[in-house]
Amino acid sequence: MEERHILDELEAGELAIEFDDREPQDVIRWALECFGRRLAICTSFQADGLVIIDMAWRIDPNVRVFTIDTGRLPQETYEMIDRVRAKYGIALEVHVPETRQVEAMVRRHGANLFYHEVPLRLLCCQVRKVLPLRRVLSQLDAWITGLRRDQWATRSNIRKIELDHDHGGIVKINPLADWTEEEVWDYIRTFDVPYHPLYDRGYTSIGCAPCTRAIQPGEDPRAGRWWWERGAPKECGMHCAIETGGFEHELEAILGHNGHPHA
Amino acid sequence: MQEAPSWDLVLKRNSIERLKREKFPLDILAEIPQLAAQGYERISEEDIVRLQWYGLYHDKPKIGTFMMRVKIPNGILSPQGLRTIGTIALTYGRNSGELTTRQNIQLHWLRLETIPEIFATLERVGLTTVCGCGDTVRNITGCPVAGLEPNELFDTTPVVTAAARFFAGNREYSDLPRKHKITIAACPAQCNAPELNCVALVGVKKVDPAGEHLGFAVRVGGGQASTPRLSRHLGVFVDLSEAIAVLRAILDVWKSDPRYRLSRVKARLKFMIDDYGPAALRALVEERLGRKLTDLPQLPLPNGDTDHLGIHAQKQAGLCYVGFPVSLGLMTGEQMIRLADIVEDYGGDIRLTRQQNFILTYIPTARLAEIIDRVAAIGFPLDVNHIRARSIACTGEPFCNFSVTPTKSKLEEILTHLERTFGRAVESLTINLDGCPHACAHHWTGDIGLQGTTGRGPTGEKLEAFDIILRGGLGAEASIGKPLLRRVPSAHVARYLERLVRAYLTRGQAGESFKAFCDRHSDEELHAIATAGAVATDTSPPERESVGAALS
Repeated sequence: MEERHILDELEAGELAIEFDDREPQDVIRWALECFGRRLAICTSFQADGLVIIDMAWRIDPNVRVFTIDTGRLPQETYEMIDRVRAKYGIALEVHVPETRQVEAMVRRHGANLFYHEVPLRLLCCQVRKVLPLRRVLSQLDAWITGLRRDQWATRSNIRKIELDHDHGGIVKINPLADWTEEEVWDYIRTFDVPYHPLYDRGYTSIGCAPCTRAIQPGEDPRAGRWWWERGAPKECGMHCAIETGGFEHELEAILGHNGHPHA
Repeated sequence: MQEAPSWDLVLKRNSIERLKREKFPLDILAEIPQLAAQGYERISEEDIVRLQWYGLYHDKPKIGTFMMRVKIPNGILSPQGLRTIGTIALTYGRNSGELTTRQNIQLHWLRLETIPEIFATLERVGLTTVCGCGDTVRNITGCPVAGLEPNELFDTTPVVTAAARFFAGNREYSDLPRKHKITIAACPAQCNAPELNCVALVGVKKVDPAGEHLGFAVRVGGGQASTPRLSRHLGVFVDLSEAIAVLRAILDVWKSDPRYRLSRVKARLKFMIDDYGPAALRALVEERLGRKLTDLPQLPLPNGDTDHLGIHAQKQAGLCYVGFPVSLGLMTGEQMIRLADIVEDYGGDIRLTRQQNFILTYIPTARLAEIIDRVAAIGFPLDVNHIRARSIACTGEPFCNFSVTPTKSKLEEILTHLERTFGRAVESLTINLDGCPHACAHHWTGDIGLQGTTGRGPTGEKLEAFDIILRGGLGAEASIGKPLLRRVPSAHVARYLERLVRAYLTRGQAGESFKAFCDRHSDEELHAIATAGAVATDTSPPERESVGAALS
């Protein structure tokens, strides 16, 4: 088996302390030096993800960036793919779900199964998003996300460097962990970073087209995603990006241990 | 050290600090009936966090049932208390219960609408869950046989009781930067793991020209998770009457420094000790107290067996205490009720231990055999291999949202394998098994520590695995272990341990401990013993050099 550089728990723990006060660029630089081409940035074109791409590109223009095309993304997201390619010259890696699994799921449950019941929505997330992500990560030693602590109470303990036990214990790097939303948007304005057009239309979360929508000022942000659901697992709503891992735990607990779709 | 951040920045960066100020978590109590009435899914996630201040955590999956942690200060529980907890488990919690390393009892499967009734029931027998979780002073632990053990320096139960009463629900000390763990004991064996607590008061007798004084040495800054630290000697002697004042002063110094509120990752007291060192912390504590503390050059050394298992005479004439092993720390509500019946019958109490066992006390010597038989009949035989009593596993699957591997069932598999292979020869070993890096079962300081992790198989698929940690210990052998075998596929773990244990049993020197055996062998030698030369997944020794280079 190929000799790979993966941290152990003690190393990751102490590195997280060491880097906790450091700037995101320091974290990204360390990650790039440490993992090279075995590292990639994961983005779904939220504001935080774009900041990460911009920062990393200024350090290493050849940085790897990937996204999951679930097949149900809004047109604006596809435009973002091309804007990022054009601005940064990055050959964005776009990964799609397994054709066979999508076909089987739709044949059995229909195209808009997610509106019917929570387990079917989770199944759809699983087939279109989680399994492709797992496949990408299985070929990496480390990945970078735009997760931030201030986003939600349950994210308050995010470390800048940690082992990702939802994905084979590879290293997960969260350089913006201690940034605020304000800092993200300041950065975007200062460096003229492209950002998703749906933000200007009242979206607070960017996801699949049928499952996200704009919210009114003052409205609960949870109304922006899966607003029709009753009985969904806690923390698996609006703020449960697949990057957190919490989502996969719920999937396993609800859909079964391997979480493989019973298509 | 970094400049102290402004409170504005703290609130901006740390959503938990925000949440504590928007509505003080202790104030959630009055709202519980209303929260239950509006239905689980309408409860905000902030309120779910606030429920931690009452010892409530999500079970897994997060669809409406809770784990509840009942605090038992010093692990001392009346039979009425045990019966009450057992009845709650049986009525509302699918009969399930577990003993914890902080001498608590945890129940599962509880629905929010039953919580007000449960709290009222607990209150009637003097029990509480307040500050069971959250940024609070957690259950204060101690030596479970305090007040009974003939060799103890003095009885610390009055100090523990007073401290527990003072801190539980105390608003001034329920907005800490993070959780805080205190232990207080004068057990000669230091059975309460003072090394692993944020603050430990260790009983000591100070002799000076003026005479003998009973009091405490103070250890600060212990903790585990993925940044393990053994607590350090503060260098002071604290008189019995000053104990709570000193505990408060340490908390005051820590909680008023915004450096430890900016990031939850660096909020624990251990990081303050990293930054300041014990001497500077002592100066800050003295400043708070407005007086100097007396020097105590040496920490008292531990001596004796930490388990308190089996039959022991109490200092009270004609009475005994008996430590019973509890398999995997599991006890059903039904067992609790039946145990309470037995204890009530002869008039003793129940003591819970850090090793997730229980001790029955005040047993008249003449009734020993009868009582031991009756306790065996409800599922707790006294005569079992002590590796089963000493070893612990965390809550883990299926309840815990953090665990990535099974824990209690995995430990059972390993124990069965070692017992079948070596019999009583492994009686002195301790295995500490955790399902995640949080280290609730103290994997850094067992003879053999196991931490659940994940690895990848040949085609990149996720693989359940364990890090094997050796050279850890507590007491006279206190040290943080080293993850010598990493990401060992779960299926290989028992065999790896078998090889290590066999090497120790056949090649260890007379009287040598397992830790000493591991200390005497190099990383490579231990690696070779465990794997018998075969290479599994990623078990190569850590490549520290490259990480260190990247850091500097």
